[in-house]
Amino acid sequence: MNGHTNHDRTIWVGSHDAHTLDAVSAVNPRRRRRIPGIAAAVGAAIALSACATDAPQDTWQPAGENAQKIHDLQWPVFLTAGIVGVLVFGLLAVTVLRFRDKGQSMPEQTHGKPVIEYLFIAIPAVILAAIAIPTVGVVMALADTDDTECVINVTGQQWWWEYDYEVEDDGTICGFAPTAAEAAPIVTSGQLVIPADTKVLLRGTSRDVIHSYWIPRLNGKRDMVPGRVHYLRLSSETPGIYAGQCTEFCGLSHANMRMETIVLEPDHFQQWLDNELEPYTSPEEGTLAAAGESTFITQCSRCHQVNGLVDDRGTDDPDDDTLVVSYPDQFVYSGAAPNLTNLMGRNTFAGATFDLLTDECRADVWEADPEVFGERYLAGVTEDCLNEIELREWLRNSPAKKPMYADAEMLTETDGKTRGMPYLALSEDQIDELIAYLLERK
Amino acid sequence: MFTTGAKLLLGATVASLAGTVAYGVLAEGTMGTIGLVSATVALATLAGIVIFTRDANVFADEPDTFDGAAANAARPGASMWPFALGLAVTTMTLGLVTYPAIFILGAILFVAGIAEWILQAWSERASADASHNAEVRSRLAYTAEMPVAAAIGLGIVIYSFSRVMLGVPSKTSTIVAFSIVATIVLIVGAIVGANRSITAPKITALFAVAGVALIGGGAVSGLNGERHMHEYETTAYFAEKDECGAEKTYADKHASQTVAGKAGSVEVILNPDGRLVHRKPGDEVDRVGAMQLPRSNPNNLLFRNETNEDRRLVIDLAPDYEGSPPRICSMLVEPGGVQWLTVNFAVPSFAPEITEIGGYRFQVPGVDSADLEVVVP
Ligand code: HEC
Ligand SMILES: [Cu+2]
Repeated sequence: MNGHTNHDRTIWVGSHDAHTLDAVSAVNPRRRRRIPGIAAAVGAAIALSACATDAPQDTWQPAGENAQKIHDLQWPVFLTAGIVGVLVFGLLAVTVLRFRDKGQSMPEQTHGKPVIEYLFIAIPAVILAAIAIPTVGVVMALADTDDTECVINVTGQQWWWEYDYEVEDDGTICGFAPTAAEAAPIVTSGQLVIPADTKVLLRGTSRDVIHSYWIPRLNGKRDMVPGRVHYLRLSSETPGIYAGQCTEFCGLSHANMRMETIVLEPDHFQQWLDNELEPYTSPEEGTLAAAGESTFITQCSRCHQVNGLVDDRGTDDPDDDTLVVSYPDQFVYSGAAPNLTNLMGRNTFAGATFDLLTDECRADVWEADPEVFGERYLAGVTEDCLNEIELREWLRNSPAKKPMYADAEMLTETDGKTRGMPYLALSEDQIDELIAYLLERK
Repeated sequence: MFTTGAKLLLGATVASLAGTVAYGVLAEGTMGTIGLVSATVALATLAGIVIFTRDANVFADEPDTFDGAAANAARPGASMWPFALGLAVTTMTLGLVTYPAIFILGAILFVAGIAEWILQAWSERASADASHNAEVRSRLAYTAEMPVAAAIGLGIVIYSFSRVMLGVPSKTSTIVAFSIVATIVLIVGAIVGANRSITAPKITALFAVAGVALIGGGAVSGLNGERHMHEYETTAYFAEKDECGAEKTYADKHASQTVAGKAGSVEVILNPDGRLVHRKPGDEVDRVGAMQLPRSNPNNLLFRNETNEDRRLVIDLAPDYEGSPPRICSMLVEPGGVQWLTVNFAVPSFAPEITEIGGYRFQVPGVDSADLEVVVP
């Protein structure tokens, strides 16, 4: 074979502009010259994408103690891996270029070189050991729970997250005592609100399939498995919104199963807590919202709980009011639907996928500096800021907006129960009333 | 050109044609005419084939052809396949009037019989050399026969074995009996292995005896029926029978008294001083206050009994809720034992039907101090 390396190219150039079979079947040399260009462009795009500033789910921008620990571990590991990679590929390139077949005579063939072999075992072993020691340390530190200051339960289901805040033995919630009301469990969804500078322990499970909770800027991910309880620590000093998404494929709308963690200064968290525990207030009689309340009772309350909602229709006796208790397990496969008591206190909905705020108002909250963030978040969704289009579309036909197995013809396996919220055939008038009613839920 | 066979078939065709015309004209029965026309066509086809092939006759002036024909090389050997086919047809007929399974068995035998018969007929005419013929037959046939025979043989052995095992009156005697059998097999194997003078026929005889014993034993035990098997019940739904008390019930008798406690579970512990405490993953200490558990979720709880007596965990749920029992309880757990209890709270604790029963409370019958509130948001 010696001396024949240019064989191909010779034929190729010769037939370049001739209309021979070779010219037809061979790769166009001009295109060949384009390949490095394309490779460079792709490489540059990948490299430059790492410089994106608008990347809310960036593990390289830790914003909490646990994420910081991971970050402090991952950059030396990546650095080491990078150096090893550059060395290996560099040596490979040198070997390929320097020793390529130029017609020289065959070098002497030997077998084995103990010194090199021992080195090739020893060097990786030393590198791996050096990486293993801090890795094990960080893994242990992340699993440590004895300094927990607050516990919040997290339950995943297709395709949204539910949070419930426990009342501790001393009557506090997450270390905060409610100002006016008596402490009671708080149930929310989509947006997890935690106090800043507090070591929060999430205790999670799932109602249907395996989901995974991941807020990249606050900690690593943790699978939430049906029948088991797993825990994950979160904490941050900096008020703000930290986005994440389910990272265990969980069915049709896995991509629409997002979540956000909201970090609030302690006094803002206190405000949030007090607001969550405020007793229910019915809309003023005669308003659109009041009509919405009865529509809600007839159309929605079988699945959605609104704490304190009573059904007093058709009776004047206040003692005759019946507490409206949802029973979603009869209709929804996972057995749950989001609690809507304070829907407008959060600013995304349906698995934190859609905005309750208009673009402008959303930017005001999401891009707020930590000092003003709390106030803006606590303002909730006001009438001016409500992104009515999204909510309206949701109520008009939720499965069309977010893919869900809520199609009556696909329910044989689940005994007629839907995964997600079904199409409810509401009239536009009913939707108007419901939006007016929901706007007061904060 | 016209051999005897051809003449016969041609005559029959003509007769049938005549009959068809006569019947068609005189009787005017459509079905009958169709039948006769079909018969005529069939006979005409056969006559045509016989004329075309000259009835496979070899003329007397060509003795070489006659002698060299493979068909003439040897008489066909005795074949069991006609008999097997007859059996198959009978079995299929029997299956038609009794069970479909018997029909299917007959059909399988039928297909196998035909295939074997064709193969035998073909191989016996393959050449003039009988041993070569036998070899080509087995080369082709063994690829299918061997795996099928092995499967059937193994099936019989396994089935007989299982019948014997299930027929032995108790679990313990099964263990004893088969330990003895296994020992005998090992010893005999060792003797045969060590003794080089044992001949193949002796070993074959040994296997034959063992095989007959096994199949015979299987048949006898199969006919005797299986030993009585205990049905494992759980106490989980025994509310209405009121079997969630402190006493041992039928369902507790055969419960394994402990499970391996796993990480990732919520634990409810009856501690030595008779109080119920709980510990969740990530908890560093046992808690005495109310325990919060998610709604409509099958919560897996481990009940750990740290007292000196057998105890069970009980909880009342919503009294009349569709798809959920009014009360569930764990097995009776021995001192130091652990059992699972899966509880699904379909109704939140603030619902009137739950506040009416005093909320969700884990309790232990016979231990009044054991009382753990569960909050379901
Ligand atoms: C059959 C049960 C069912 C009924 C009835 C129902 N929903 Fe839903 N709804 C759900 C489920 C399940 C979800 C969660 C879907 C998701 O995010 O994937 C949901 C989500 C929502 C959300 C988003 C909540 C959040 O926090 O993300 C709103 C708002 C909502 N529904 C409003 C309504 C209104 C208003 C009605 C009455 C007209 C109604 N729903 C009727 C099951 C139901
Ligand atoms: Cu998911």
